[in-house]
Amino acid sequence: MSVNTRTRSTLTGRHPELTSPPLKPFGVKRARNREALAGILFVLPTLVIFGLFKFLPIFGAGAMSLTEYSLNGDFEFLGAENYTRLAADPNFWQSLKVTFLYVAIFVPFIIGVSLAGAVLLDKLVRFTGTFRALLFIPYLSSFVMAGIIWTWIFSTDGPLNAALGGLGMGPVPFTSGPQLLVLLSLAVVSVWKGFGYSMLIFLAGLKAQPAEVHEAARIDGAGAWKSFWYVTLPLLKPVVFFVLVIETIVGFQVFDTIYVMTGGGPARASHSLIYFLFDEGFKFFDFGYASAIGVVLFVIVLILSLIQQRFFEGKDSK
Amino acid sequence: MTATVSSPAAGQRPATGTAPRSPRRNTEKRRQRTLTWVLAVISLFTVAPLIAVAVLALSPEDAPTLPYALPSSLTLDNIVRIFNVGEFPLWLWNSFLYSAVSVVVVLLTAAMAAYALARKRFPGRNALLWAIIATMMVPVQATLIPTFILISKMGGVNTLWGLILPTLANAQAIFLIRQFVRDMPEELFDAARIDGAGEWRTFWQIVLPLIRPVLATLAIFVFLWHWNDLLWPLVVGQSDAARTLTVGLATLNTETASTSNVMAATLVSFIPCLVIFALLQKHIVASITHSGVKG
Repeated sequence: MSVNTRTRSTLTGRHPELTSPPLKPFGVKRARNREALAGILFVLPTLVIFGLFKFLPIFGAGAMSLTEYSLNGDFEFLGAENYTRLAADPNFWQSLKVTFLYVAIFVPFIIGVSLAGAVLLDKLVRFTGTFRALLFIPYLSSFVMAGIIWTWIFSTDGPLNAALGGLGMGPVPFTSGPQLLVLLSLAVVSVWKGFGYSMLIFLAGLKAQPAEVHEAARIDGAGAWKSFWYVTLPLLKPVVFFVLVIETIVGFQVFDTIYVMTGGGPARASHSLIYFLFDEGFKFFDFGYASAIGVVLFVIVLILSLIQQRFFEGKDSK
Repeated sequence: MTATVSSPAAGQRPATGTAPRSPRRNTEKRRQRTLTWVLAVISLFTVAPLIAVAVLALSPEDAPTLPYALPSSLTLDNIVRIFNVGEFPLWLWNSFLYSAVSVVVVLLTAAMAAYALARKRFPGRNALLWAIIATMMVPVQATLIPTFILISKMGGVNTLWGLILPTLANAQAIFLIRQFVRDMPEELFDAARIDGAGEWRTFWQIVLPLIRPVLATLAIFVFLWHWNDLLWPLVVGQSDAARTLTVGLATLNTETASTSNVMAATLVSFIPCLVIFALLQKHIVASITHSGVKG
């Protein structure tokens, strides 16, 4: 399929298809009008859906964050008050701290696991398909399901503590103990559920590497580790960066596992940014304030996306 | 699940298994054996929790089971029970509708838009394309509140249409399909025009059949996104009328439902995903490795 080479461009962040196709030798004005009409009719459903449920809410989020908004539609313009309130809200800073800590644990963890999985699969000759499937399967589950399974695994009478008990240790309060332990437990669940995706991206990156370079490294006497560190990894850098950004964004959006496993606790130890937004919006119905939290999330994700774009554009211009 | 999907760049690298010299072949054999064992251990880490769910779901209630013992017999009692007690069948149905309707509408509207954006010249086309792509930068959680307010104003809270409507805007689907449509040769459309095919017929009989591979891939991912979605259904489907399986499972888990009930429900919720994977593994793997579709 020749199209696949083109779809790859999302990987490199380039969008060659955004330029207009060459003009067709039409000339007849009526034909052009017909074409325009057909085009508009074909995009119409999308235009309506996007107008109502994407464009409007995006502007709505910005506008609502400047108001105090109640469910019956009454609102009061506050200016930047929601943002100054955020800046002074210890719960906001707590949720930011939780989120950054979580990202700091989750991102290296998932990159390490998915890269390791990809490298092992890449070296394997037989049963590649079987092992790839076995490693990928958790990706099909929902975070809710992953949370339910791991709640049981981490529970005081779960298998993990049963094993630790057999060794004369524990019980370890995986989801109710100190903050770092709880966030680590949550990260384990997300890595288990999510690493298959990044692993496949890494695997594709590895398969695309020219064999000659590795052969040359081997002839020069580089061992497996050296060859990985000095040849494979540098060649894989763009892919690593792509996965890094994607997984960082995923990390910042952590919610489902927290909702299922800890409810943001113990004592706000896992009260992430989205959880904060959810609480303010749907527990306290403070919609204006919750919208401001959403805007903060958007800014964080935007900065990450821009870093990604800057990186790839810089690479392209060389 | 032993499908052998050929990798996109297969052939660029000679198979390592055909190393010529015998001493190297022996070390290579040893290495492969170690590799297989390491991967088997990692597979245990990924698969064991799923097997545990199945065992717990199929263990007779009150019988000793994991983690301290293996059940002496397996039973479908728990599964039968959750289908007869409570709202579980309704949640399942809601999840199915949420996913299935979304797949159909997203694919159809996205394919139509992608065709127009790739092949038709009309005023505002580039602006619209950029606007659609720009929405991919905005995380859905950032617009959760205004979307909820909008749906509640329309009277859609706790209804299935209120649940489904906002999730139909799928920029990624449009973006991916558009790349396919752009790559089609212009002669195809010229021929259709000469044959007197109207716009709709051209779309229906030429474009749609040709983009079937990308539609199949997108169908899988849109289905999984919806089937596994939590935050939006949690916010908009607070009563049983529009409660999806994920929301129901999350509430079951926080209530004092027995482990066997929760695990039975969890197992049932996972079966469609597993079936899809077993049937369409090739599509899933290929699409992730090629385009980076993110679920």
